[in-house]
Amino acid sequence: MKKRRQTIEQRKGKNPAGLSILWWLLGLVIGLIWIFPFYWMVITSLKPEAYILSSTSLFPEKITFEHYVTVFTKAPLFRWIFNSVFVSVVVTLLRLGLSSMAGYALARMHFIGKKLLYLVLLASLMIPDEISIVPLFIWVLKLKLNDSYWSLIVPQLAGAFGVFFYRQFFLSFPGDLEDSARIDGCNSFQTFRKVVFPLATSATTACAIILFSFVWNDYMWPMLVAFKTEWMTLPVGAAIFNPVGFQQTGSRYGYGTAMAVITVAALPTLGFFLAMQRYFIQGITREGLKG
Amino acid sequence: MDAILRSGKDGNIGSPGRQGKFRYKGKLVDWAAYAFIGPYMLLFITMKVAPILFGIYVSFTDWSISRAPRWVGLENYLRAFTDPWVAQVWLNTMTITLLVVPGTVVVSLLLALYVNRKWRFSNLVRTFVFAPKAVAITVTAMIWVWILEKESGILNMLLAGLGLPKIAWLTSITWVIPSISMVTIWWGVGYNMIILLAGLQDIPQALIDSAHLDGANDRQVFFRITLPMLRPILGLIITLETIAALRIFGQVQLMTAGGPGGRSATIVSYIYSTGFQRFDLGYAAVLSLLLFLTTLVFSWIRFKFYGDQDN
Repeated sequence: MKKRRQTIEQRKGKNPAGLSILWWLLGLVIGLIWIFPFYWMVITSLKPEAYILSSTSLFPEKITFEHYVTVFTKAPLFRWIFNSVFVSVVVTLLRLGLSSMAGYALARMHFIGKKLLYLVLLASLMIPDEISIVPLFIWVLKLKLNDSYWSLIVPQLAGAFGVFFYRQFFLSFPGDLEDSARIDGCNSFQTFRKVVFPLATSATTACAIILFSFVWNDYMWPMLVAFKTEWMTLPVGAAIFNPVGFQQTGSRYGYGTAMAVITVAALPTLGFFLAMQRYFIQGITREGLKG
Repeated sequence: MDAILRSGKDGNIGSPGRQGKFRYKGKLVDWAAYAFIGPYMLLFITMKVAPILFGIYVSFTDWSISRAPRWVGLENYLRAFTDPWVAQVWLNTMTITLLVVPGTVVVSLLLALYVNRKWRFSNLVRTFVFAPKAVAITVTAMIWVWILEKESGILNMLLAGLGLPKIAWLTSITWVIPSISMVTIWWGVGYNMIILLAGLQDIPQALIDSAHLDGANDRQVFFRITLPMLRPILGLIITLETIAALRIFGQVQLMTAGGPGGRSATIVSYIYSTGFQRFDLGYAAVLSLLLFLTTLVFSWIRFKFYGDQDN
């Protein structure tokens, strides 16, 4: 018994002082590796261009907002923010509706072809999206839907991720509730709308956050279908200020401007993540462990 | 009433009455299910299945945006076999995958073990490591373009301060793939760390305590209990990371645009430059199928060696 208590105490961190200092240092190093790049981004965006290339000072010697002024005057930044918000919100809401219903049917209903459908959807998760990019792009050109919300939104609705997410959730849903709803005279749709969906809030929150971040951070497809700058989303538009530049021609902008535009692009999602961290992590855990 | 209860006993949960007459595999068929799944399936078929079929058709043509497409048979496929760029981008993609997947797995496992120990700042460290996943790839790529800049980037400044030579992280043939892989690992470990952390917390503490009681040391506990218990989750992470690594594009496009001399171009970069810069869409369709086949081979290998316990 005594021995057992000892080992448990050891495990609970009653380490010699040396190890504890090492633990602190390790934490500091890990923290710095992951947070310093963001810090450096913000600091660089606040330095006058003349200082940026020559100084490695960790604090700006002289604070300037000129890069932010440049970014907001040279680019339709508010339009990009609006496009990103609009596309992400619409895609997330539509996908939540479509996926919850499909996931519910796959989890709780008996119908012909269910097994086949399940396998097809599962296989689609393994197929890289890039396979449909060429044909979808051809269709977008044919229908002249480039530079429109249609091309930014509709192709994003077909992903099977949400369906599996909800299916997983509904598999463990208590069946009594459905039975009693049915005895009260609800049909399948009423049962779903009035009983099942309202009780799936935790799954919906987690799924919404994950889907939103997928869409918000998406790069390749929105880049392909936005020809004019005003139809770009934030991640696509921000790349105009990339100092490397497409085809390595180099952009006209310096690092200060580049860091300013990505600071603007990063802050909304970083803030959102910090506020919603708990749900975000819950969602990933659920999807990761069982999906 | 009686009918309802009976249908419940059958395991059928659809609405009774006019719907519940047809049986399939012993259970009443719930016709309402088709209405639930219909809207999604409509999109799935038009936006996933149809494009794949049309893409296969396109791969047999010389589709471009300037003229009417012509049927060219297997020409695009034969071209892919002799195109030295295909070999190059395939090799680049494989190298990145072989660096990123093991790197991500090891780093995220170590981080999960670190964060799992109760400590005042565990949650803060967890938040920091996850943060990059909350921003777009554009943000990540552009931050690192600046940090890895050859002359004035902070990393080379640091090396210079330590008396070491500066390294051309993104412009030398030797370093470009390691640099891109490093950034990809930095970007992606947070997500996997969270999944592994959940797995670690699912391991019953009693199991670990009793192993300790039997005289097992920490290393034995890790290799004999922790690691085997995490096996299904590790399998899942390897699968997802492999698929993601084979599709790598954004960071390459934004950090090096495939350079220097195509040494960092990946399969998707090549699809992009072929299809959307030169508008050689027929050939790009073949390259997309190549990507699909590669993914399929990797899934098969994983399945073969790892079984399907995580599905």
